[in-house]
Amino acid sequence: MTSHQPPATSHIVEAFKPLFEPKTVAVVGASAKGAAFPNVFIRRIREFGYKGEIYPIHPTAESIDGLKAYRGLGETPNPVDYAFIAIPAAQVPPLLKDARGRVRYAQVISSGFGEVDEGKELQDQLAGAAREGGMRLIGPNCLGIYTPRGNITFAEIGPKEVGSVGIVSQSGGLGTDIIRRGLARGLKFSGLVTVGNCADVGPNDLIEFYLADPQTRVIGTYIESTKDGRRLFEILRKARGAKPVVVLKGGRTSQGRAAAASHTGSLAGDDRAWVALSRQTGCVLVETLEEFLDVLMIFQALTPRASHPMKRIVLFGNGGGASVLATDYFARLGLHVEPFEKEAVDALAALKLPPGTSITNPVDTPVGTLQQEDGRVAEKIVEIIQGIGKPDALVVHLNLSAFVGRTKPEVLDNLVKAALRVQERYPGQSHFVLVLRSDGEPALEERKREFRANAVALGVPVYDEMSNAGSALAALAAHERFVHSRSRDS
Amino acid sequence: MSGSKEIAEARKNGRAALDEMAWKSVLANFGISTPKSLLIQDVMQSADACAKLRAPLALKVVSPDILHKSDAGGVKVGLKSAAEVEEAVRAMMKLPAIANARIDGFLLEEMAPAGQEIVIGGLLDAQFGPMVMVGLGGIFVEVMADVAFRICPITRLDAEEMLDELKGAALLKGARGRKPVSRAAIVDALMKVGGEGGLLMTHANDIAEADINPLIVSETGAVAVDARFVLTK
Repeated sequence: MTSHQPPATSHIVEAFKPLFEPKTVAVVGASAKGAAFPNVFIRRIREFGYKGEIYPIHPTAESIDGLKAYRGLGETPNPVDYAFIAIPAAQVPPLLKDARGRVRYAQVISSGFGEVDEGKELQDQLAGAAREGGMRLIGPNCLGIYTPRGNITFAEIGPKEVGSVGIVSQSGGLGTDIIRRGLARGLKFSGLVTVGNCADVGPNDLIEFYLADPQTRVIGTYIESTKDGRRLFEILRKARGAKPVVVLKGGRTSQGRAAAASHTGSLAGDDRAWVALSRQTGCVLVETLEEFLDVLMIFQALTPRASHPMKRIVLFGNGGGASVLATDYFARLGLHVEPFEKEAVDALAALKLPPGTSITNPVDTPVGTLQQEDGRVAEKIVEIIQGIGKPDALVVHLNLSAFVGRTKPEVLDNLVKAALRVQERYPGQSHFVLVLRSDGEPALEERKREFRANAVALGVPVYDEMSNAGSALAALAAHERFVHSRSRDS
Repeated sequence: MSGSKEIAEARKNGRAALDEMAWKSVLANFGISTPKSLLIQDVMQSADACAKLRAPLALKVVSPDILHKSDAGGVKVGLKSAAEVEEAVRAMMKLPAIANARIDGFLLEEMAPAGQEIVIGGLLDAQFGPMVMVGLGGIFVEVMADVAFRICPITRLDAEEMLDELKGAALLKGARGRKPVSRAAIVDALMKVGGEGGLLMTHANDIAEADINPLIVSETGAVAVDARFVLTK
């Protein structure tokens, strides 16, 4: 977001380049028979378009998957930018020690380290071996990295396009979920690193990288345990909300100190520190994976406007009850859906919309109205909303079930394009969010998927339900308020 | 560092927490007012002491043998003259729990003007380091846990937002016919405790938990009337 990167941050970007754009990849643990996870990894990165060198490491095999194999990390023709290692835990430390300073990043997929009591000592040995071998260590007990800019992926599917969402996850499985579910919603990533036990590189390092990385506009992290919360606080506070940071924290409900000696001690649960972190640094704390993805989506699609933090929201769509419920839900999130002033109401009344149309805010129109003149009536309504109502955000919600069999397929696209056309006439005024409600009927879901893809391609964040849109908008509003308040605080 | 002497002394004496003279001295070092007080050794010194203090006064027995002063009858409040102080000292010395104890003297202390009771707390979080807390006194803290935490060091804006976060924040503005209290005085106290160079940052390695409870805040200022500083092990 900031065009002028200070030297220190460009140094961080440079330091992580071999991880995110490796020119040489070593794979340890692939078998000559070609069935192990590292074999799958080789196949996946080739399919993902990786064009650099691949060095399988194997004690005896001459070649693996048609590639010449080498005996150790220190024996490859060129130094290794990224080593993907999935062999039994006890074999990893000697492997790293023998790298002779020729490996930049080693990601250890293997488990059996610090996540189990009997592996804690081995993890210390692993960290020591990585230092001795002169490399940065990622993991152990993780799944890998997904970096479209480097054409490297551990995941079976994921967008090939380089996006703007940077992720660091302490859980590998959740990392896969984020890629797969993100793909379905239209999220595109600048990178996703699973860091597992964080014996060396942890969330703090990668958050620092993503903050400096020009490709990344929003950062998401799944954190289970912080080794150095203080550093996280300092990194985020220094950033002053320059990029939105979304934190999905596992283990927030663990009870506070059992034996506190003061009121303060007894009142301080684990959660208090995370809430404080959020208040002081503007990072967004979310509770569920769904909310995490919803919030990332809004920051991917929309640019926060700290100059006038979001307050007033207009809801426009079909479904009276849904609008009323959404108004209540939004209000609980601190988002105001307030009736229009007289001028806007008069202008909408002058359109002489059919009975059943509500023209205060929320604006609630039957499907028939929305499809009149191929959606041009909707454009007139949005024009009045934007021109006179001047909301900070407009949420258009369509109950697709009500459109079934009653309208031509292109009406939905026309509606969105009309809303975007109007929005362009009022640059910088309001955020635009689309909610596509559906009932799970397969044909309708299929249509919704296409429609969603079209809208996301136009830069519109799309949500399944009003509540999803609400929590995402609340996060955006909180971020805007934070940056606004801190721009005056020196 | 200011306050280091008191902490070192407490550690040397094997104390888990700072005693009253020590925490008063530490708070004073960081610019937080505590009630003005004088230690008197016997009845003869009370007139002199009263002349230097502003009534009403509180009288507290000081003894290493008496942990709970109130329970022992060793606290008397609302004393308005030297005569009342002398009488209170004599009465205390007749009480069995006090008559049989080693007595270092009696603390004669100015009573804070009426105001809103606030709690300012601190603790050392294993992950995030020193944290500061604020809440309204009494049931707001004890029953409703209506408190706000921040990671130290806080900015003034952080301190303001902590107060905004309290459900009982309206009381500070003088709800239910009471006088409004000085918000600036609370913010100042929070900064002195939790700000850059404040008490908690300065002694992060030594203070495990802290309660300033109550900090009595009036229209014009704030006074720390009682406090507890638990040292790290």
